[in-house]
Amino acid sequence: MTALALSSPPRRRWRLPGTATGWFTGWFLLMWIGVVVLPLLIISTFSFFSMHQYQIVYDPTLATWTSLVDTGRWVVVLRTIRFAVSVTLLEILVAFPFALWLAKGCRSAAVRAGVITLLTIPFFIDASSRIIVWRSILGTNGVVNNLLVGSGLIDKPLAWLLYSDFSVSFGMFGSYFPTAVFPIFLTLSLIDDDLIKASFDLGASRLQTLRHVILPLAMPGIVGGIVFTFVPLMAAWIEPQLLGGGQVNLLGQSIQSALNNLNYPVAAALSTIVIAVLVLMLAVLVVSLRGRFKMSSLFQSVDG
Amino acid sequence: MSTVETKDFGMNRRSFLKSAGVSVAFAGSSLGFVSSGIAQETVLRAYGVTTAQMDDPSLISKATGIKLEFTPTDADIGVFMRDALANDIGETHDIMIFDGGTQDILGPQGFYAEIDETNPALDLWERTPDFWKKSDISVYDGKTYGVPILGNCDAFAYFADAIGANPNGQDEIPYSVLYEDDRTRGRVALDRVFSQSLACMANFLKVNGRLQIEDPANLTPEQAKAVVDYAVERKKAGTFRTLHNSFEEQVQLIQSREVDVLECWEPAVKEAEKTMKDEAPIYAYAVEGGKKWGHGAYIPKQALERGNGEAIYEVLNYFLGGEFRAYQARDRSYAGPNMDLGVEYAEKSGWSSEQVEELRATDKKISRKMSNPNAFWAKPTAPHAGVMEQEWQRFLSA
Repeated sequence: MTALALSSPPRRRWRLPGTATGWFTGWFLLMWIGVVVLPLLIISTFSFFSMHQYQIVYDPTLATWTSLVDTGRWVVVLRTIRFAVSVTLLEILVAFPFALWLAKGCRSAAVRAGVITLLTIPFFIDASSRIIVWRSILGTNGVVNNLLVGSGLIDKPLAWLLYSDFSVSFGMFGSYFPTAVFPIFLTLSLIDDDLIKASFDLGASRLQTLRHVILPLAMPGIVGGIVFTFVPLMAAWIEPQLLGGGQVNLLGQSIQSALNNLNYPVAAALSTIVIAVLVLMLAVLVVSLRGRFKMSSLFQSVDG
Repeated sequence: MSTVETKDFGMNRRSFLKSAGVSVAFAGSSLGFVSSGIAQETVLRAYGVTTAQMDDPSLISKATGIKLEFTPTDADIGVFMRDALANDIGETHDIMIFDGGTQDILGPQGFYAEIDETNPALDLWERTPDFWKKSDISVYDGKTYGVPILGNCDAFAYFADAIGANPNGQDEIPYSVLYEDDRTRGRVALDRVFSQSLACMANFLKVNGRLQIEDPANLTPEQAKAVVDYAVERKKAGTFRTLHNSFEEQVQLIQSREVDVLECWEPAVKEAEKTMKDEAPIYAYAVEGGKKWGHGAYIPKQALERGNGEAIYEVLNYFLGGEFRAYQARDRSYAGPNMDLGVEYAEKSGWSSEQVEELRATDKKISRKMSNPNAFWAKPTAPHAGVMEQEWQRFLSA
């Protein structure tokens, strides 16, 4: 008996936090669960109910989930993921060299300040106003088509410039470019120039320096750029609405349509899918970067 | 099956707050803090679709002595029903204005009061034609819940040159120019809202004998599937350029001539005429009629309990009168009951003969559209609305 008692692990007793950090963490977790996690769970729960005459029927059912297949809404889910992944990749591919130039290549402080200011301008303009302008530029009677037809490059206007996958991707790219650039720019700015010089001094080529010095150190910013771009893209609805013109139906619009008809269970099911995809995507990111990069370093690099 | 009881709780959140407020007011008055006898202008609050709102709200005040504060909402049935059912908007508003059909649900459940057709303040009710006051805008199950205040028959707009139509706009144009005409392929815009697009497409297929459909506004699951199958086929054939979502988009599509034919509201053409003049498209007399709709004004039950009944009936009567009719026709091309009073008002108020003639023309135009035997009534709260929305998603996803 005594041996058994000695071999069993000591029971951990719950105690009040002894430090300010402990208290803060506890309160933060409590608030986070109450304000974020609990509402999400409630939303998911609603997907297992149904509607009758604009009122919720609180009898558990899987009808909403099966209807997602029948109505083709699952196609919309896949299409949304496709758009979010492809536009995020494109953003990062363009944002990284741009941020590298801005952080390390641009020698003029005035130019750098000017570019950063320009990148922040979209945040001050309502997204709808910013996006709708493109309709008069990309339309069949728009500026681009008029120029192309007028210059004789094409015979008739290009219809695919607007209300197409292209126009939606284009609109998304413009909207989320700053959110992809800023995290990468910030981490690149924090890289000590002496490290790069040391790499060259040791005989590394530009490509080797980029691959073995800059990229690993910039990884927190790249991951941040991916997160800040992919997450809002999963819920984007202004670009598909205004530039897709109903030809490119994504999750945000599908949720909106369900809400317009007061179909809370469908809206809840689709919102649950969005959350699940985001959690899955973050998990994939964490697993694929395991051993090469710590997620916590996203924040360490800021405070040095 | 258990449904949420949004109305019949012993005490809901609002009624609790209200009774708490009454208690405080009673306590205050007993202490002499609340003064009485201060003469105040009668103020009513209306909640409803913006189309029913007067551009100049002071006209109502001048005519009735009642100030009507208007809280606008859009045409989304979901938003309106949420505010009526869950947010208990009757606690704060005296008149609710929306597409006819909400009374089918809100009437029997006790949210709307029945209209007292004999109320002395409602003296224009008697002369109002049955076409309006016995319509789906007002009546459900033999009981009158709403006063019809305006309406129209929605169809589509077209550029005459694109389809070789007579530019005088008097010809009846078939809906096939939207769905099956090679001349307009890829230059057609539909409304994104299923209660408009899906219903009109169903009516087209019904009138042309392609599908057996009883009510295009309330499709059974099988009918909705068949109509959407057709819609998907036409979408894949490249018929539709875009689906619009708002009045502003309709106007922009017309002004940029991005499309040749579009389902839209008549005021969008009216708006485009301001800049395009003779180049503006024509709002069609459709062979298949189109979708008849009307806005009704309804009284939340609580408004009568607040003792606002007489003032409310004054305003409802105003909606049936000439001034409201004339301004709605002039500003939006909408008609409604007692259009003759609108013409009479315009003549007495010194409107130009051109404007008076325009009112007469609007009256004639809407009478012609409304009397088309192929036209059908809208049903925003159709029993099969859920099925129709789900099927419509299949079209959007395709």
